[in-house]
Amino acid sequence: MEANDYKGRVKPSWCPGCGNHAVLMALKKAMAELNYQTHETAIVSGIGCSSRFPFFMSTYGFHTIHGRALPVAIGLKQAKPEINVIAVGGDGDGLSIGGNHFIHAGRKNPNITYIMMDNEIYALTKGQCSPTSRQGTITKCNPYAWTADRLNPVLMALSFNASYVARSHSGNIKQVEELILGGLKHKGFSFIHIVSPCVQYNKVSSFEKIKELVRDLPSDHNVEDRANAMKYAFSPEGLYTGVFYKINRPTYEERYQEVIKIAKQNITENYSVKDVMKQFQ
Amino acid sequence: MKDLKIKISGTSGQGIISSGDILSYATARKGYYVTTYRAFPSEIRGDGKCYYTLRISEHKALTATGSTDILVCLDEDTIYECISSMAPNGILIYDSNLVKELKVERQDIVPYPIPLATIAKSINSERSRNMVALGIVVGILKNLHLEEQILKDIELRYRLKSQEIIDLNKKALNAGVKYVEENLVRKDLFNKAEMKSTGAKLIMSGNEAIGLAALTAGCRFFSGYPITPATEIMEWLAKELPKFGGKMIQCEDEIAAINYALGASYAGVKSMTATSGPGFSLMQEALGLASMAELPVVIADVQRCGPSTGVPTKTEQSDLFAAMYGTHGDCPKIVLAPMDVADCFYQTINAFNFAEQYQVPVIILSDASLGPRRECVDLIDIENIKIVNRQKPDLKEGDVYNRYQDTETGISPITSPGDKYGEHVITGLEHTEANAPTPDPNVHRQMTEKRFRKLETAAGQFSKAKTYGDDDATIGIISWGSTSGPVFEAIDKAAGKGIKVQALYPRTLYPLPTDWIKGFIKNKEVVIVVEANYNAQFKSTIVERCAHINKGMEVLEFLKYDGTPFTPEEIFEEIEKVAKLQEEKNQLSTNKHTHF
Repeated sequence: MEANDYKGRVKPSWCPGCGNHAVLMALKKAMAELNYQTHETAIVSGIGCSSRFPFFMSTYGFHTIHGRALPVAIGLKQAKPEINVIAVGGDGDGLSIGGNHFIHAGRKNPNITYIMMDNEIYALTKGQCSPTSRQGTITKCNPYAWTADRLNPVLMALSFNASYVARSHSGNIKQVEELILGGLKHKGFSFIHIVSPCVQYNKVSSFEKIKELVRDLPSDHNVEDRANAMKYAFSPEGLYTGVFYKINRPTYEERYQEVIKIAKQNITENYSVKDVMKQFQ
Repeated sequence: MKDLKIKISGTSGQGIISSGDILSYATARKGYYVTTYRAFPSEIRGDGKCYYTLRISEHKALTATGSTDILVCLDEDTIYECISSMAPNGILIYDSNLVKELKVERQDIVPYPIPLATIAKSINSERSRNMVALGIVVGILKNLHLEEQILKDIELRYRLKSQEIIDLNKKALNAGVKYVEENLVRKDLFNKAEMKSTGAKLIMSGNEAIGLAALTAGCRFFSGYPITPATEIMEWLAKELPKFGGKMIQCEDEIAAINYALGASYAGVKSMTATSGPGFSLMQEALGLASMAELPVVIADVQRCGPSTGVPTKTEQSDLFAAMYGTHGDCPKIVLAPMDVADCFYQTINAFNFAEQYQVPVIILSDASLGPRRECVDLIDIENIKIVNRQKPDLKEGDVYNRYQDTETGISPITSPGDKYGEHVITGLEHTEANAPTPDPNVHRQMTEKRFRKLETAAGQFSKAKTYGDDDATIGIISWGSTSGPVFEAIDKAAGKGIKVQALYPRTLYPLPTDWIKGFIKNKEVVIVVEANYNAQFKSTIVERCAHINKGMEVLEFLKYDGTPFTPEEIFEEIEKVAKLQEEKNQLSTNKHTHF
């Protein structure tokens, strides 16, 4: 497969200069590398600028409702584990309205990849503060002052026990592709946080500022050391990028296969609804 | 004796539900018909009251509500609460260790003070008062020959606990039976009570019937969040689905639950969720997504008193508007309501078939009186149940597949991830036939019509509305869901008194089967809509959509919203009242006529 084979029927509607274009290309390249078949892959999203993603792909896709990409994606994967499932969305979609699902995705460890494009703002509704907006952000909805602290998506994912946690920014397409590739290959819930400031509505954050902040995780960082990963995620010094954490543990689907195995222990091979009926006789 | 009602009552934690369950299984397995009604508080222990009513009969009974023949009280409070609902000549069994002086004025009943605590103590199991009391009932109804079967059922119920528990319960039951034989001076009329056994049948609860139907219909994915009184559906499916390679997923909330089900349905697997009012409110947005994206999904709403947390364990039929109109936008869906446990099974089969065939969300409206109610169901011919699967397109390489192709029926063939050449993106945004989002006015109009056309196609397939009673009656009753049982019984009662009434029970509530309703009301002078809610939700729908075809007809409402189900008696009284008014009115108009 070539990256171009994943081009969807609909032309990307994002603004020129938006970092999402880079993420789209990076995902296509990573998928091509793994030879993902379009009919065996599903991209699931919620609502927001970045959530338009599935329309721009030639795979199966489900553009759901605000905040619900993860539960739909996890349900899909659990129902048909052989499908490659990728959830995509923004910071408002995944951390605010859909925040609850993010928590439980980490703990359940479904074998899906979740790419969060964090533009630090609600852009589709024309610029309101999101859970990752920085101090000093003034919008029409908070015209006088900034009123709440930011969330830290990487730290959150680590504490929810996501089994692959990585971060990059859309100005570094090579790293984005590398991290997505790592996420797709990883067996378990992989979370990739991509900082991608909105070129239209974000007056506080910009590509230039992000570039000043970013630094690579030290090469000797042990990706199985969650406490240490949290330390870097927490660091006030700058924005660390790379793989924070990667650990192998059974996936949600594998664990349910165990359930099926146990449930089938004491039944015959051709167990049918007729046998089920016996409990009611 | 053809028909007998037993009520066991007491305080939460005294084993009321266990003894009621054991008795209902045993009577069914002896070949009698049994239907039950359970009422319990939300607290697990504490001083909330539990009531378990069983109606044992030779013919299928439609409700267990109404007057009691044998009342068994394990505490004192429920004696005074339940005494007024006893039938004349009924038996009251109570614990004389607990109640020293019975302050009951009714002279037409037979009280049996039994030292339940002393008997339980004599077998070293003070906690087994419930089983001793059950033994008393079994002893009194000696001619129903229940003892042997109950001992078997005790074993079945506690087989996963311990042999010690099984033995204690058996001992307690035997001690109760023995007490009747040796010590009880009989003053009641049940000494010779006999009943005809009518052969093999099934016994299950409304919730279990929904689970069984889901499994039969091919549902292999259930996602849910625990909520009274619907949890039993997910518990049952958690046990059975994995045996079939299916999955029951407990989610973080009801929003997740329905969205998991939509993800699974998109994957091509028949999916369902079940909930009650609060959860149903949370699911509304995703329900609209299913409608817009045209994804099959089944949602069982086991209604309870609302709004908000309401009365979690008590029944109401107040989610009808939420089911019909809860989601924003023009939202095609199908709403079905079963009337009894057997109907829970067949309506759930219909729900899956409709969902798959018409690619819409289908809502089943059960309720707190029906979900936990255990009752007999005639044998189900499980291998001959008609199962419908979603229509797939026939695709080959190079074909352009349009997911939302506009068709005569409104139904567009559907593919799922994994199907070659069928890749597409579905969305809650308005979209073209080629599934591209668009705000185009013409497309929104066309696609709205296409989605609703599916319901027109479906309407021809709906199970016929059921009528009951006299075709010539000028008094009609329309009811829905579990209220129809007591309505039908009230009609029998009225017929016995020479009052002609006919009932209509529409199985499908949305889209409203207007043709059947219009046909029914055509020759009626008065129609009473009986339902368990304050707003007369179904009545207002009928008045709005159907009543204009019979302008001379009066549409009345008979409502209940105290958390308890209707009894045939109260509906009968209403019928009597209306019949009398009707007679006076007709007389008046005849007189007027003569006068002029």
